[in-house]
Amino acid sequence: MIIKVHGESYSPEKESTTILDLLREREVEMPEMVSVQLNGNFVKKENFGSTHLKESDEVEFLYFMAGGDR
Amino acid sequence: MKGFSTKAVHGKTLRKDPHGALRYPLYDSVAFEHESARDIQLAFEGRKPAHTYSRITNPTIEDFEQRVNLLADSLSVIAVSSGMASISNIILAIAETGSNIITTKFLFGNTYSLLETTLKPWGLEVSYINMEDTDRLRRSINAKTRAIFLEIITNPQLQVPNIKEITRVAGEYSVPVIVDGTLTTPYIFKSKDYGVSVEVLSSTKYISGGATSVGGLIIDNGTFDWEKCPKLEDSVKKYGEFALVSKLKREVYRNLGACLSPHNAYLQTLGLETLSLRIDKSCSNTLQISEYLETCEKVRSVNYPGLKSSRYHEIAKAQFKGKFGGILTFELENKDMCYAFMDGLKLIKRATNLNDNKTLILHPASTIYCEYSPKEKKEMGVSESMLRLAVGIEDVEDIIEDINLSLAGI
Repeated sequence: MIIKVHGESYSPEKESTTILDLLREREVEMPEMVSVQLNGNFVKKENFGSTHLKESDEVEFLYFMAGGDR
Repeated sequence: MKGFSTKAVHGKTLRKDPHGALRYPLYDSVAFEHESARDIQLAFEGRKPAHTYSRITNPTIEDFEQRVNLLADSLSVIAVSSGMASISNIILAIAETGSNIITTKFLFGNTYSLLETTLKPWGLEVSYINMEDTDRLRRSINAKTRAIFLEIITNPQLQVPNIKEITRVAGEYSVPVIVDGTLTTPYIFKSKDYGVSVEVLSSTKYISGGATSVGGLIIDNGTFDWEKCPKLEDSVKKYGEFALVSKLKREVYRNLGACLSPHNAYLQTLGLETLSLRIDKSCSNTLQISEYLETCEKVRSVNYPGLKSSRYHEIAKAQFKGKFGGILTFELENKDMCYAFMDGLKLIKRATNLNDNKTLILHPASTIYCEYSPKEKKEMGVSESMLRLAVGIEDVEDIIEDINLSLAGI
């Protein structure tokens, strides 16, 4: 499976990968602060573990850099 | 950590200091270096948690914001350059030409000026109502209402609105409630528990730790669904519950240049650590002084929510955990008497500020309301015979002695 992360092609280690898996696999910095967009839409933090990625999905890890957990 | 004071002292540090400094250092730097061109690109795009430029983010300011976020138990916090910056930024983020804000004329003078003389010419409509009249509030809300704005304790009228009642009505119409919590702070009043959407406040006052620095805060409690705000539709799609903070951080706050100075953030972080101690002392002093003033023959009336004679005493007692703030007003015979009294004071300073460590006195009608007509002043509850005392943390006996001697001389 090939997806895009921050506009660059990326192949997750497993075929069945959730957003939470991807956060760990990519060792995303300050995961408690990150907001995730999947194909331009916001994904709630509580859905990170249940949202499975599929071919050609586009993922963005975003930071607002204000005070507060994400 | 459960207690407010423990949280205020220990905070919640996201990034460990490389030297293990117990006090988060002051990063008084404008710019931050990046390892590669790609890294700085990612930081600009918000795809990497790195600081770029202190008008937008800064480590010391971020630490301050995190600490406030912990104390308010909120979704997100943005520190800004002043209390007025917090109000102007939030209104510009959620309202547009032709939309309206519902508020009251019992407002800080500069807030009223912002609405009337700065924002109205840009097409913002403002309805002024009595916040105690919830029927009128219902009738005032329409499809173009973007927020209800009010002060938790109004300054200097010291009215205490019933916040739960107002947020209940606002909730029926899906309108956010924005409160100015300058006189209470999250220590006295946790606005999230009362259904408030956003709290703004001037951190110059109680939080700065004794008038050390000017600053403001925008606290998004995470209680309002920003999908109901037309101006944030795009932000909601991209950023969900963080729609407001993203709109501010990635546009309004950034473009207006509303940043807090890192030095001020450092000072205000120090102020947070002693906030509860100072508020306890100033509230206790204010109550004792108000009770003393009620016994003085030359004083026509005393206004303080902590007094049983105040019509707001019961609601204030319920909302503020037995603390009633550090401000009182009282009336003398006329303006000349007020001036003579002010000029006779030796310890209390003639100055315009609130919640300093020092006790300050002001004649509101001739200072922060000097630009308004007598009719407007009357509507705003400001009379020529009113004095405002912002009580500090000195020994209360010394403050009362100063008042006593000056009253004797007029």
